[in-house]
Amino acid sequence: MRVRLTGGRVLDPTHGENGVATGATRTIEIADGRLVEPTDLPAEEYDLGGDIVMAGGIDLHSHIAGGKMNLARLLMQEDRRAYPEMPGAFCGCGGGRASPSAHATGCRYAELGYTTVFEPAMVGSNARGAHLEMADIPNLDTGAYLVLGSDDYLQRLLATGAAQEQINAYVGWMVEATQAYAIKIVNPGGINAFKFNARKLDLDEANPHYGNTPRKVLQTLIRAVTELNLPHPIHLHGCNLGVPGNDETTIATIAAAEGRRLHLTHLQFHSYGTEGDKHFSSSAARIAEMVNANPNISVDVGQVMFGQTITASADYMSQYRNRPLGSPKKSIGMDIELDAGCGVVPFEYRDRNFVNALQWAIGLELFLLVEDPWRIFLTTDHPNGGPFTTYPHLIRLLMDRDFRNAQLATLNKAAQKHTLLPEITREYSLEEIAILTRAAPARILNLKDKGHLRTGGVGDVVVHTPDSDAEKMFSKARYVFKNGTLIVKDGEIVETVTGTTHVARPQFDRGIEKDMDRWFDEAIGLKAKHFRISDGELRGGAGPTILKCERTGS
Amino acid sequence: MSEIESAPRTVRDVVCGFCGLGCDDLTVETDGRMVRARDVVCPEAAKLFLRRADAPVPQCSQSGVVTSESDALDAARVLLAGAKATLVAGLGVDIDGGRAVLDLVGRFGGVIDHYASEGLFRNYTAAQRTGWLSTTLAEVRNRCDVLLVIGDDPTAVFGRLFERIVPPNPLFASSRKVIFLGAAPGEKARGQLGHADIVHLEPTDLVAALEAVVGGVQGRTLRGETIGGVPTADLAAAAAALKDAGYAVVTWNSATLSGDGGQVGALVAERATALVDALNVTTRAGVFPLGGRDNIIGVNQMLLWRIGYPLRTAIRSQIAEHDGTLFSTAAALKDADLLVWVSAFRPEPPPEFDGPVIAIAHPETRFARPPEVFIPVGTPGIDHAGTVFRMDSIVSLPLGALRVATLPSVAEAVRLIAGEAA
Repeated sequence: MRVRLTGGRVLDPTHGENGVATGATRTIEIADGRLVEPTDLPAEEYDLGGDIVMAGGIDLHSHIAGGKMNLARLLMQEDRRAYPEMPGAFCGCGGGRASPSAHATGCRYAELGYTTVFEPAMVGSNARGAHLEMADIPNLDTGAYLVLGSDDYLQRLLATGAAQEQINAYVGWMVEATQAYAIKIVNPGGINAFKFNARKLDLDEANPHYGNTPRKVLQTLIRAVTELNLPHPIHLHGCNLGVPGNDETTIATIAAAEGRRLHLTHLQFHSYGTEGDKHFSSSAARIAEMVNANPNISVDVGQVMFGQTITASADYMSQYRNRPLGSPKKSIGMDIELDAGCGVVPFEYRDRNFVNALQWAIGLELFLLVEDPWRIFLTTDHPNGGPFTTYPHLIRLLMDRDFRNAQLATLNKAAQKHTLLPEITREYSLEEIAILTRAAPARILNLKDKGHLRTGGVGDVVVHTPDSDAEKMFSKARYVFKNGTLIVKDGEIVETVTGTTHVARPQFDRGIEKDMDRWFDEAIGLKAKHFRISDGELRGGAGPTILKCERTGS
Repeated sequence: MSEIESAPRTVRDVVCGFCGLGCDDLTVETDGRMVRARDVVCPEAAKLFLRRADAPVPQCSQSGVVTSESDALDAARVLLAGAKATLVAGLGVDIDGGRAVLDLVGRFGGVIDHYASEGLFRNYTAAQRTGWLSTTLAEVRNRCDVLLVIGDDPTAVFGRLFERIVPPNPLFASSRKVIFLGAAPGEKARGQLGHADIVHLEPTDLVAALEAVVGGVQGRTLRGETIGGVPTADLAAAAAALKDAGYAVVTWNSATLSGDGGQVGALVAERATALVDALNVTTRAGVFPLGGRDNIIGVNQMLLWRIGYPLRTAIRSQIAEHDGTLFSTAAALKDADLLVWVSAFRPEPPPEFDGPVIAIAHPETRFARPPEVFIPVGTPGIDHAGTVFRMDSIVSLPLGALRVATLPSVAEAVRLIAGEAA
């Protein structure tokens, strides 16, 4: 199957190609799922008439699979009822908006032009379930970050002063066993401390049982992923999520990376000061300045979008604290398998609420004040800040200052006085949006054949018709090709295809296996070999797409 | 069958997918068609793993008359195509079987439920209204210092429960106290809890006694000599022990709390949830609801991620609708004009039903009357590989094949029925 797209203006920031600025068009050709040099061989042809062509979108942080999303679905049946099945044969199974079904997730993402999404918080003990679920998401390639840091095995290693090499072997074993792509740390050691009844854990506070500090967890795991040469840096959900005054923690955390690569996720939830009579203020400017000054740091925002959503996080410590804020008033929490935890709290972000309005502004301030578009990514931490289906609205907020200020004028009055937004003149260009949503995520995830449109790349190609209203432009892609198959036409799903799952395969000292066997037998009460997930268990037997990580030496 | 496969062999670390506890350390002997679990096995698993060498070769049948597989598949397809109100029940299947069954229901329409869902939905009255704070097996195993067991002794259903969740050498719990509020623990439970401090409180009114414990934890003064038939001082002591615990766990099996038309199970789930909520204000605690028979948790999880609804859902014209009462097996049977009974883990007979029955079921199923179509299927974990979820909904386990399959899996049988209808 060969597909030829002619007359499109190509936006490929990876290679500095900006057809929008130059007006030049280029033919894009896909054969056998890959981008190829244009030929005159027979092909399915599409005349794009100057429309904009980009690589398939990549979301590096969106909760799309795993036990916590199923708990969210169970708890929020009203979300499912409010968003029933879309008409048409291809979307006949599932619905929901804040906690959509697997099928709805794949279809709604595809309509927006996304073709790859990473689940950022896979708990090891739940990894098999998460992979089963990802296999049922159509149209998307996926991958998952394994949550480590609060697991008792690691805490025990740290407490007994284990050598870094032994930590690396453990991390390598876990990545392989759970078929993960990267390491996520959620509230470093905090989920563990909560099991020992600690209600908060600052960066330099000792775990009540093990004595380890979050700083130690963070620095040790940063070293592990560096020495294992995993494709993505530590993906960190820091301490004190949502707590006013956590700006100090965030700044201290950036310093704690000591120049090594570190990704701070949903930074908006970690950029709160304590100024003003409500003791809640924006520290976005201060944090953005710190990010700008530290090229080893990358961030995604976790923008808050108004309306009903549900928050689902492995950070049970923080989610337990947030329980009283839930709306509707119900929530689920869970301690999980000497491994991690989870907390699921429905939430409605209200534009007339001071805190919610300021959260919205803080997120936008971060987007606009962090200068390098290659180090900041467009996320709502779906569904925690809002469902991913709000991305087109968010893109317009970034690209259109008048629209942004008009929105701001409708919000809580006190919050309006506490934000720099009206003074910020920056508007994102289309090229910058292309960087945030595909080129930069491909780079930070080390996905060499994605996020760009050069020969050899994956045939994930998206066509958008330009519109002065960016929300309208990005709401419905004109065409989306997944591995060269047309899956979306004029914003409607016309086909569903099966994606793949990206996994990283580090090299590590297999001497660890004996100890893992013993740990699982004695502590977990399950055989390590049954915890391990074989390649054949992924994607209905098709197996994963493996990135081999060559050791660079420690 | 090759010589090696038919030779006697011993398979270690076999995963058991029957009760939902997820034991994965069984030793099983096989010899040709024969399968027998040898040790560290509970009586239930021993019975369900057993396959005799001289068992008759199962065959498809229509109304009791032996037919070819293709005739049986054709007949099933005709019945499905002609039905207006299909109920797909039983649903004792691995994940892949569940996916295939859901696809079938998506295509032909129908109500979908699992035969062991009563307990699950009693729990959901609490879990869906207020949510709850729960825990998983390895947490109970290592952290729990005070365990409250409500209702019957669960070892009758989960033979190795206390061996698994209250072993003698936990990582963190410095002592183990197990409080039984309900029936007395049997010999097996006492044996597995030899190292623990056991307390037994026998109420005449379980819910009232439990409510008193909740009140005690919440700081209410308990009045009177007895509450729910238990001396008030004992209930106050139980509340104090829970409150003083480092990590308290509350467990019950809603499936066996069927008093008052299931109300007892629902009330126990609700009070247990309130108890754990109250405990977490000052210490740590979690509910640990028991269940998970024949992969009900796995099928329920799969439904949640595939269609966004749990069991007891109807799909009509590709639109799903969930109602925990209306679409229970018992209620849906009253309106059904076709029952598709799927049960691969055990020879569970279908419920009484006047209309036509398609049974995609365990070969040893004994039917009250012969079903219109019977397609015998292999058992996950014996005849073919598969995945099942443990009761806590977090951990899932890979089942392996112990012998060469001569019967289709549920997934294969159902896809044969559905595939050719396209």
